[in-house]
Amino acid sequence: MQLRPSLLAVFFTLAISVASADAEHVVWSGLVIAENVPQPAPIPPELTTLEQTLKDLFGYNQFEVIGQSNKTLKTGEEDWLANSKYFGLHVDARGENDAGYTLNLKLYKENDVLLETDANLSKSSPLVIKGPQVGSGQLLLVLVVKDDEQAHRRRHADPANPITAGWHRLRRIIHDVLP
Amino acid sequence: MKTFEEKWTAWLDGQLSGKELAEFEASLPDLEAAEAEKRDALRLGAFLKEQLATQALSNEEFFSHQLHERIARETEDRSRDRGTSTWWTIPRLVWSGAAALALFVITTVVLMSQHQPGEQSEYLTQILNSRVDPAANPNATIYIFESKNDNKVTVLWTEGLQSLPADYAAK
Repeated sequence: MQLRPSLLAVFFTLAISVASADAEHVVWSGLVIAENVPQPAPIPPELTTLEQTLKDLFGYNQFEVIGQSNKTLKTGEEDWLANSKYFGLHVDARGENDAGYTLNLKLYKENDVLLETDANLSKSSPLVIKGPQVGSGQLLLVLVVKDDEQAHRRRHADPANPITAGWHRLRRIIHDVLP
Repeated sequence: MKTFEEKWTAWLDGQLSGKELAEFEASLPDLEAAEAEKRDALRLGAFLKEQLATQALSNEEFFSHQLHERIARETEDRSRDRGTSTWWTIPRLVWSGAAALALFVITTVVLMSQHQPGEQSEYLTQILNSRVDPAANPNATIYIFESKNDNKVTVLWTEGLQSLPADYAAK
């Protein structure tokens, strides 16, 4: 009979350790002006992985960041602002789920809301929003979930926990199977 | 020197022989009556032997019957006890735990073998809803699609938003 509380304690400890294994994430939000220029500047490092996709999608050869924000999400319910001189992107995170973060985005032009959207931002799928035409270029809003630097370093130092990885895949499969 | 009774008993049992037998039979007053008595005694002996053997068998059967009854009673008690006690005995609990753990390990190994390192999540960013100010942008339309390449970019594509002068591109 002494065995049952011990088994329960072991399962509880395992569940807590697995649940606390989730890493913090940084969401990079950028206001980007895409233009075609004779001598394009190198793409900003935050957009390096998206360079070809952006070029294919919009047909511009230069992407300049005019406002940006790096926000570390701890609770998944923070809000922040990425500003340029005339534009402001307000991001209101409304919770974390298996897929990523639920966000409310508002693009301001000075005091006017140009665009509002609600999105589930996935940790592995960036969001690009085509904004208004600005001069000969185009305003783009880009949101990317990055791993927290500390978590990134920790992940490089230690190999991925196979139990946690398996647990996440199991959760994902159950999530996919159940309606 | 044997008495008459001893010699009579020995004669009935067929233990006398030779000169002793001849002398004893000669001493009997009526040999025929004695022979008849001997036959009766032998018959009685055989009958008694038979009856005693039957009784012994009967005891054995009775004992066996008692044993059967006791075994049946104990079996019934045991099954009744088993019915009232919980199924989750400690050994079963341990075995169940071990089986569950083994199942978890197998599932994890299978899932991990399907998951290649560096593989991206299957989730894509989803646009739940989107709106523009209809007063300022009456002809605005919104499209949502996903890029076809490996980046899995979700694109919210607006058309018809009011164009702005180049000054708005300032940092």
